[in-house]
Amino acid sequence: MMSVVQEFTKGLWKEIPPFRLVLGLCPTLAVTTAGKNGVGMGLATTFVLVCSNILISLLRNIIPNKVRIAAFIVVIASFVVIVELVMQAYFYPLYKILGIFIPLIVVNCIILGRAEAFASKNSVLPSIADGLGMGFGFTISLTVLGSIREIIGNGTLFGTSVMWSSFEPFAIMLKPPGAFLCLGLILGLMNLISSRQKGH
Amino acid sequence: MVVVLTVICGASGLVLSYSNKATKAPREYQLLKYVQEPSIKAVLNSFDNDPIKDRIVVKIGKDEKGNPVEKNIFPAKKGDKVIGLAYSSAATGYHGRIDVMVGIDPTGKVTGISIMTHTETPGLGARIVEPAFTKQFKGFTLSPELNLSAKGGKIDGVSGATHSSEGVVEAVRKALELFPRVKKEVG
Repeated sequence: MMSVVQEFTKGLWKEIPPFRLVLGLCPTLAVTTAGKNGVGMGLATTFVLVCSNILISLLRNIIPNKVRIAAFIVVIASFVVIVELVMQAYFYPLYKILGIFIPLIVVNCIILGRAEAFASKNSVLPSIADGLGMGFGFTISLTVLGSIREIIGNGTLFGTSVMWSSFEPFAIMLKPPGAFLCLGLILGLMNLISSRQKGH
Repeated sequence: MVVVLTVICGASGLVLSYSNKATKAPREYQLLKYVQEPSIKAVLNSFDNDPIKDRIVVKIGKDEKGNPVEKNIFPAKKGDKVIGLAYSSAATGYHGRIDVMVGIDPTGKVTGISIMTHTETPGLGARIVEPAFTKQFKGFTLSPELNLSAKGGKIDGVSGATHSSEGVVEAVRKALELFPRVKKEVG
């Protein structure tokens, strides 16, 4: 039981995907222009991650080693298409904003990485915990990054105005350089916290 | 090895075709809601139903290959009474297709038009989307008056954009020409 909890929590801080493993940067940088987009992208990825982890863990003894990557990709791609169809059917505005980055979940390194490094070697329960942990870690990262960029770049958070009225938004935060700036600062801050923790 | 991969791909295909079918109706609805609803709202007055949910598909003739051409008709209702119909119509402008949503009341009068998509010249032909031009169409029936003033009608075209203006007029005329048939089908 302890290990399941550990598998879950490692994705939230110690191995939080975009900031620690520095994986999945393409959607991390591209869609985080607002907090809402971060949440949507994160949850879509979490769904795919958990489902593919479950299935790959179940099939891990059946899939021959030589074609494992091909099999993983088929499984992941199927779930991505399902997510895409569901979003198109029920969350059309979000689907329009995330656009090409939904199909691109297929090639998100986090998902294939977890399938290869974890789900293909572990049983179902730890794989679910791993998928959920990594997924939530990814969602939190994207939401935080998106919220910061939205607050500074647009003066709003999840669409509601949060800054004082004379606040002049820094439009650069919504552009690609803003994503790099913000990501770099967060990485630095996290390293600072970690080194402090080790120091004591 | 081959068998396992085949089975996985086959299963994936099955699941996907099922989810495609299951989400087809809501996907269509969302597409219409977000792409066409703003135009529908702009051309019909004071209705209290959901025109997209109540949409009626009408077959209007066949294309060159003999396949039936279908059209979505969006009825506006107040209570149970139909107070207007909206449907799209298209004609060629200066650069290409202009799609117009036309609202028509039961007597065949235009209640409003809204340009949905066009590729006219920015600053010139693109000004056909401005209310100053589109609101002129309100109240017209299919009559010689529904034409540009240069051709003896009562619509003032956008200056410097005669072809674009003509395209819109033609699209509205096409919609009105279709109206008797649509009305019969809708009942």
